[in-house]
Amino acid sequence: MSANGSADGAHGPGPASEDPKGHLWTRLGLRARVTLMFGLGALVLSIVMGCVSYFTARHFLVDNRENSAKVTAFANASQVRNFAEFESHSGTKPETVLEGLDAGVASHSVLFYDNAWYSSIAKVGKNATPAAMRALVLSGTPATQNYWLGGSPQIAVGVPIPSVHAAYFEVFDVSDLARTLRVLALALTAAGVVTTLLGFSVGRSASGRSLRPLTDVSRAAMAIAGGDLDTRLPEVGDDPDLAGLTLSFNRMVDQLQERIERESRFTSDVSHELRSPLTTLSASLEVLERDRDQLSPQARQALDLLAADLRRFQRMVDELLEISRSDTGSVDLWMEEVAADDLVRHSVAASARSLARLGPPATSAVLVVDVDGVSGTRLRVDKRRFERIVANLLENAAFYGGGATRVSATLGPEHNGHATVRVAVDDHGPGLEPDERVKVFERFYRGHASGRRGTGMGTGLGLALVAEHARLNGGTVWAEEAPGGGARFVVELPVMSEAEQAEELEGSDSP
Amino acid sequence: MSARILVVEDDERIRSSMRLALEGEGYDVDEAESGEEALDHFTAQSSDVALIDLMLPGIDGFETTRALRRQSAVPIIIVTARTDTHDVVAGLEAGADDYVTKPFVAKELGARIRALLRRARPAEDEPKVLSFGDLELLPDQGVLRRRDGEEIHCTRTEFRLLCELAANPNKVLSREQLLDRVWGYDYFGDGRLVDVHIRRLRTKVEPDPALPRHILTVRGMGYKLVP
Repeated sequence: MSANGSADGAHGPGPASEDPKGHLWTRLGLRARVTLMFGLGALVLSIVMGCVSYFTARHFLVDNRENSAKVTAFANASQVRNFAEFESHSGTKPETVLEGLDAGVASHSVLFYDNAWYSSIAKVGKNATPAAMRALVLSGTPATQNYWLGGSPQIAVGVPIPSVHAAYFEVFDVSDLARTLRVLALALTAAGVVTTLLGFSVGRSASGRSLRPLTDVSRAAMAIAGGDLDTRLPEVGDDPDLAGLTLSFNRMVDQLQERIERESRFTSDVSHELRSPLTTLSASLEVLERDRDQLSPQARQALDLLAADLRRFQRMVDELLEISRSDTGSVDLWMEEVAADDLVRHSVAASARSLARLGPPATSAVLVVDVDGVSGTRLRVDKRRFERIVANLLENAAFYGGGATRVSATLGPEHNGHATVRVAVDDHGPGLEPDERVKVFERFYRGHASGRRGTGMGTGLGLALVAEHARLNGGTVWAEEAPGGGARFVVELPVMSEAEQAEELEGSDSP
Repeated sequence: MSARILVVEDDERIRSSMRLALEGEGYDVDEAESGEEALDHFTAQSSDVALIDLMLPGIDGFETTRALRRQSAVPIIIVTARTDTHDVVAGLEAGADDYVTKPFVAKELGARIRALLRRARPAEDEPKVLSFGDLELLPDQGVLRRRDGEEIHCTRTEFRLLCELAANPNKVLSREQLLDRVWGYDYFGDGRLVDVHIRRLRTKVEPDPALPRHILTVRGMGYKLVP
C-alpha cells in the first residue's frame, strides 16, 4: 500500500480526547479486568488465610513450648532446692548438679546460689539471661521471657528458690521451633502464590468463556461490515442470558440485509427498466446517424448532442448496475489465466476504441505503453473487468488530466507471499491535491477543480468502479503524483503463485 | 439476396427500432412478439438468423430457443437485459450460438450476425475431408458423419468450431483464437461461448462426454483435438 492514500484504506484518527480519569483501569480490556480481579482476589484471600494459619500455628507452638519449658524449669528448680538443702554439705559442686539437669534437652541452666553464679556450660554465664528478668526473679517473682541470643531464639524461665536464697534459671534454645515456623511460612507463601496464579488462570478462562459470546458477536459484526451479510450467530440453545443477545443480533442483521438488498434491488430494477427504452433510443439513434449527412446543420448538431448524452446515459446505467451488483454481492466473476503484457496491451487498445466513441476532448498527449516489465508473467483476472479498469482510468485521464501519457506495467513488491503486478496510468494534467487522492474513488465525487473539469462527460462512477473492479480481482488501487507532475493511478494485482497454478489444475474442466 | 432475420421481442418499440436498425444494415427483418408466434412463423418461413429476447411472455426465450433448436440448425442470438452468468450460460446451453446485451449498438449486432452467417472456412486452403476417431467432417458441405455414413446433427457454430480444432490436430488453440476465428470476437470476447459449445460438441462426438478422448482441455492454455 502506498503512503499516498488508497481507495480502500482511509481510516481517520480515532476520537481525539478521552476522559483522563478513565485511565489504566478502563483502558484495560474487560477480560483483562476480570482476570485481574480474580487474581487479586485470590492474592488477598491467600494472604489472609496464610497469616491466620501462620499466627495460629505459631501461637500454639510457642505456647506449648513455653509451658513445657516451665514444667521442666520448675522440676529442675525443685531438684536444685533439694541439692541446696540437703547435698550442699556433701561437697558436690553446683556445676555438676546443673550439668546433670541439662541432659537430653537443648537447654542449659544458670544458678544463683550463695551469692555466686553457676552455669551448666562454662561459656554461658549469668549474662545468658536478660538482665531485667534476672532482677525480677532475684526479687522473688518467677518469670518467663522469649529473646534472642547469639542469633538464635531462646526461652528463659527463672524460678526463685527463696528457701535457700537461690534463683534457678533455665535457658531453652528454640531454634528448631523457629525453623519449623520458617518452613511453615515458606509453605504458606508457596501455597499463596499457587492460589494467586490459579486465581488468575481461572479468571482468565472464566472470563474467556463468558466473553466468548461477545467475541463471537464482534467477529460476526466484522464479517458483516466486510460485506458478508449472510453471517449469523449460531443458536445457543436455551441459555437465557445469551439467547436474547443472539436473537436480537441476528434479527438486526436480518433487517439490515433486507434493507440493503431492497435498496440495491431497487437500483438494479431501475437500471434494468431503463435498459428497454435505452435500447429503443440507441437503435433509433443509429438509424438517424446513418442519414446524418442529409440533415440540416442545426439538426445535425442536435443529433450529435443527443448521441453524446445518450451514450453517457447508457454508461451511467451500466455503471450504476455494476455498482449495485457489487453492493449486493451478486457479482459474477469470470476469472481467466492470461499473460499480463497481452492483457494490458489489448486493454489499452480496446479502451482507446471505446474512448474514441465517447468523443473526449482533443488532446495532444501521446500515449506510451510499456509492458516489457511483465512479459512472461501470468495473471488470473476477470479480463473484461480489467479492461474496464484501464478504460475508466484512460477516460479519467482524457477528461480531467489532459489525456493519458503513459501506461506501464511493472512487477511490484511482494504481499503475503504473492508477487504483484502494478499497472500505472499517468497523465499530464494538474495532478491531484493530496487530500483528493482518496476522495476521487468515492462515488460521484467532484474534485476541487470541478470547474476546470466541467466537461460534463464523466459519469461520476468511473473511479469508484475502478476501485471496485480492482478489489474483485484481488487487488488495490491508489492515486499518486506522476513523475511529470500529473496524476498517476496505480492498480496492483496479485500474481498467481506456482502452487496456486498447480492447485487450479485440479479444478474444473475449462482452460 | 439479403439474409432474413427473425426478431422475437415482446416490446413493440424495441422491436420496431431493431427492425429499423437491421434494415439499415441491409437485412430483411421478420418480427414475432412471442415464442409461440416465432415458432409458427419459422415453420412457415425459415430465417437465416433468429434474435430471441430471453424475457418473453408465455413460453420464455430459453424454451423458444430450445424448441427452435430441435427443428433447425439456424444461428440463434439471444438478447438479454441481464448479463448474469446464469442467464447467458442457460441461453447458450439451450442452443444459442451467441448473445447480445441490451442496450446494444446496432453496428455491433450487425457484426455478430455477419460472423454467424459466414461460411465455415475459406474453401481454398481447406482439405475436402477432416477426420478424427471414427468421424468425418466435410467443410464444404457442412456435414459431420461417422465413417459408416450416419450423419450427426450440429449447428453451424458447432460445426465451425469442430473444423477449427480438426484442422489443427494436436495443436492447442486458445479461447481467444477460437473466439476470433469462429465468432469474430476480439481479445475480450466471452470465453463462456467457447466452453459451452465445447461441452455441447463433446456430447455429440465423444463416446463418453465426461471423459473426453478427442476434444481435450489444456489447463491455462485452451483446447486441442486429438484424432
